[in-house]
Amino acid sequence: MISFSHRSRQWLSRSPLSLFSRLLTTITLLLCFTGSTTADTYDENLLLQPLSGQFLLASFNFQSLGPIQTFNKQLFELFPRSLGQILQYTHTRELHLRFALGRWDSELWGAQPGDGQNAGGTGVELWAWVEADDDAEAEARWTSLNNALSGLFCASLNFIDSTRTIRPVMSFSPTGDYPSTNSSRLFLLHGTLPKEPVCTENLTPFLKLLPCKGKSGISTLLDGHKLFDASFQSMSIDVRPICSPINGQCDIEIQQNIDMVLDISRSLQRKDSPVPRPRDQHELVCDTTKEYASNEYCYPLDNSFDLPWSLSDLFGRSIAGSCPFAVRHPPTPHVCIAAPKDRLVQPTEAATEAPSSPNGNRCYILQENQQFDVSLPKQEPPTIPLRKEPLLYAERSFTGHGQEHGGVKTVLRNPSAIDFIEVVYLESLPWFMKPYLHTLKAELLPPPRDPGDDHVISDLYYRPALDRKRGTQLEAKVIVPPNSVVILTYDFEKAVLRYTEYPPDANRGFDVASAIITVPPHRRRSDGKHVPATSIRTTSLLLSLPTPDFSMPYNVIIFTSTIMALAFGSIFNLLVRRFVAVDEVQRVDFKGKIAGLLGKLKKTKAE
Amino acid sequence: MDRKCLLVIGVGLLLRLVLFTAFPSLPTILAQRVEISTPVTSYKRLQEGLFLYTHGVSPYDGGVFHQAPLLLSLFSILPDSTILTNVFYVLADLLSAVSLVQIASSGVSGVTPHHVSPRKDNRWPPWAIAAVFLFNPFSIATCIARPTIVFTNSIVLHSIANAVQGNRAPAFVSLAMASYLSLYPVLLFPPLLLLTYDCSKAVSKPSIQAIGAICTIPFVTALFVYLKLSHVITDSWEFIVSTYGVHLLLPDLTPNVGLWWYFFIEMFDSFRSFFLCLFQLHLFIYVPGLCLRLRKQPLFALITLVGITSIFKSYPAIGDTSLYLSLLALYNHTFPLMRYTFFLAAAILYATFLGPAFYYLWVYAGSGNANFFYAITLVWSIVNALIVADALYAVLRDEYETERPELIGKDVVQI
Repeated sequence: MISFSHRSRQWLSRSPLSLFSRLLTTITLLLCFTGSTTADTYDENLLLQPLSGQFLLASFNFQSLGPIQTFNKQLFELFPRSLGQILQYTHTRELHLRFALGRWDSELWGAQPGDGQNAGGTGVELWAWVEADDDAEAEARWTSLNNALSGLFCASLNFIDSTRTIRPVMSFSPTGDYPSTNSSRLFLLHGTLPKEPVCTENLTPFLKLLPCKGKSGISTLLDGHKLFDASFQSMSIDVRPICSPINGQCDIEIQQNIDMVLDISRSLQRKDSPVPRPRDQHELVCDTTKEYASNEYCYPLDNSFDLPWSLSDLFGRSIAGSCPFAVRHPPTPHVCIAAPKDRLVQPTEAATEAPSSPNGNRCYILQENQQFDVSLPKQEPPTIPLRKEPLLYAERSFTGHGQEHGGVKTVLRNPSAIDFIEVVYLESLPWFMKPYLHTLKAELLPPPRDPGDDHVISDLYYRPALDRKRGTQLEAKVIVPPNSVVILTYDFEKAVLRYTEYPPDANRGFDVASAIITVPPHRRRSDGKHVPATSIRTTSLLLSLPTPDFSMPYNVIIFTSTIMALAFGSIFNLLVRRFVAVDEVQRVDFKGKIAGLLGKLKKTKAE
Repeated sequence: MDRKCLLVIGVGLLLRLVLFTAFPSLPTILAQRVEISTPVTSYKRLQEGLFLYTHGVSPYDGGVFHQAPLLLSLFSILPDSTILTNVFYVLADLLSAVSLVQIASSGVSGVTPHHVSPRKDNRWPPWAIAAVFLFNPFSIATCIARPTIVFTNSIVLHSIANAVQGNRAPAFVSLAMASYLSLYPVLLFPPLLLLTYDCSKAVSKPSIQAIGAICTIPFVTALFVYLKLSHVITDSWEFIVSTYGVHLLLPDLTPNVGLWWYFFIEMFDSFRSFFLCLFQLHLFIYVPGLCLRLRKQPLFALITLVGITSIFKSYPAIGDTSLYLSLLALYNHTFPLMRYTFFLAAAILYATFLGPAFYYLWVYAGSGNANFFYAITLVWSIVNALIVADALYAVLRDEYETERPELIGKDVVQI
């Protein structure tokens, strides 16, 4: 009501035409409100979780939900109009967009937040379900989706062409509900840009999609300088339709997530001394158990206490009150801290502590227009951060040397002592990396007792690359027995490209997209617990190809043509000319010839 | 075939079998050499194609396998055993050696209906020709690395052997097979036709037009049957683009001993199609010239064409050169007339030893760049081109001396 009266005051000073258009808008809005009973809802939540090794995970989650009918009528309330129109124009029913940088260190930090569903491979990753009549139409819509998103997010998404697009068969399944759409009309397309440097220009449009646009609420913490200084960061956007099983009412949901892992000591150092310098001796905590420990020699101990930090220390600012759209009745928590119970947490007075949540997190509700900060003071001895064991550890690397051929080795380790785990391993390789599928081997460590029992690959889907047209797609269903390691290896050959196909920094190499390992939702055999779908991504790889000399085109054309001309000349010379004995031909005397020519010239001059 | 031939062939085959068994890793190492295996002949790619084919994925719907479908079905019938495969390749070399012995025994290189070389008695005996093939390091390396060029070579030799014996149909059915396997042997059709005509044993010879018709029919029929069979095997025609298209359009720029790869890496995009057409047509240019000028010795026209294709085809390997050099040994009686024997022998050794070294410097050590290997391929091509030209000179000079016996040992010039 307040905003309405504020608006009506503004109208007085406007021109009649603008007044008329405003009136129209209001009428439409009013009609729309009366037509549908449910308006869009919006939630935002920040989860702070200290990780081992003085790291802090900050997970931002923004979620809005609105009825799909108003969305289809292009009546956008909280759903970002720019994105909504793109999705409608390209008939995209479900969209997943990921920007990621850095590596999630699962050995140190444990399982990824949100079961890895919000993280993408290094660079940009995009997959979508596009509704179309046939394959060609889906391809065309996918291309226009990429081009539109490229403009929206200031990313090179328009470079996702047919060579970078795959159609996964086993790895992805829709997360939305499609009661009225024939599933054969939905096409899944997946594209990656592993080389894309994710940076501030991608964050700004990301924040623009939020209802509060980074001006209030938890999104005020998102500053490019801090976000891209993190050890690992991932931004994601997921749009999907959700239907209620009770009344069949469908909503469209947009989830935006940012997960970042901050190095606490690095962030604090940035604040205290922007120029890096070694710590003073009195600041060092020495390991006195070392035999050489004395006043002069110090073996520094890390993690001897929990570093003190506050939001304003790490992010350079505190939260500027709650976002008005995220105020709900009953109130939902905005900021949660998942720290061990004995870790001290001191929020500012402006926050209301929410009733303790079942998982033991300490949560706070933000107040409008009141700064919020939370600090965790120095604590000795250090608390042991919460860590969730990941379902699977995965690593991938190149083997071999030289720029002619090489191999890929992927190590999948199942840490569980009892449970078998079935995963789908997906590789999307560029066309100039030509794998030999017949060399694909899966080795099981420790080796099975029964030698015939080592069939770890239960299913395989392979689509070979076509030069300059499409990349390789490899999907393998792999079963990893408990407490064992599966090593997948295969050989590949490196193609030599045309000199115009190399990037300007050709000797840096080409990025190969992360492998995607998906664990489908299943029921654990040991305790019957339901395990949700989980995905893990390996790091991207850097492939170095043989390079030609880029300064040589003219020389090569000249040299090769010379050789061909030489061969042609010497062979045809023999074919078309006759042999004659030397003494039968009149000797051509060059001296005489030249003298004759000169004589002729003189003659003509004299005349 | 006398005892010496049998002995030479036996020792040659034994040598290959010993190399296969004594050094089990040698085939894998050699198969990865770019000088021996090309994208259109590589054994590793054949295995990949075979793996995809037996697992129900079309190998022609991919950028790795570019070999003929009948090879796929042949190798899928062969039991999956390395020893048997090796023996199969050794048998292909046996066929080549036997064909060479047959060609040498026929004496066509010295005596044809239109020409009798004055030096015909200096020719090497058949066993020596077989030995030149069997103990040539290039052919041994090619056999051990198992590229499919081995089959093309033995079929070409088999076809020539049939032609010199006057068996028209088998000669042209074999040539069709060789053309089907690696496209470029189709260039040998005109000289082979002349050779068959000259060597036919019938008392009353039909006209050359009649022979042309008689030989074209089995060639075209056989080619059609092979293509149709391939269509039946793979259930689509996409193999045409993926095999012959690759020979013609050069999408795969993997280095080899030829001139094409670096030229088309460095080529400006707008001129690519123009130079592709030019390079392909360049090969055709030699056919009429050689057939007309060497009408009296069609076998040599054929050998020269083999030599020219081994230099200027899109994916040449040392296997092609070894075929040319073995065939060239049939004309050893003209070698004394060659002018640059020492230079050519030295240069071919130079290229042979420096090629692998420079390739290593470029691809593995990183201390050289692509120009190093390119320079060696230039040397290799120029040496081979000069061998072809010099041998051609020697044979033409030999032919001239039958017309003018008084000029033997005297200097001649060309006008």
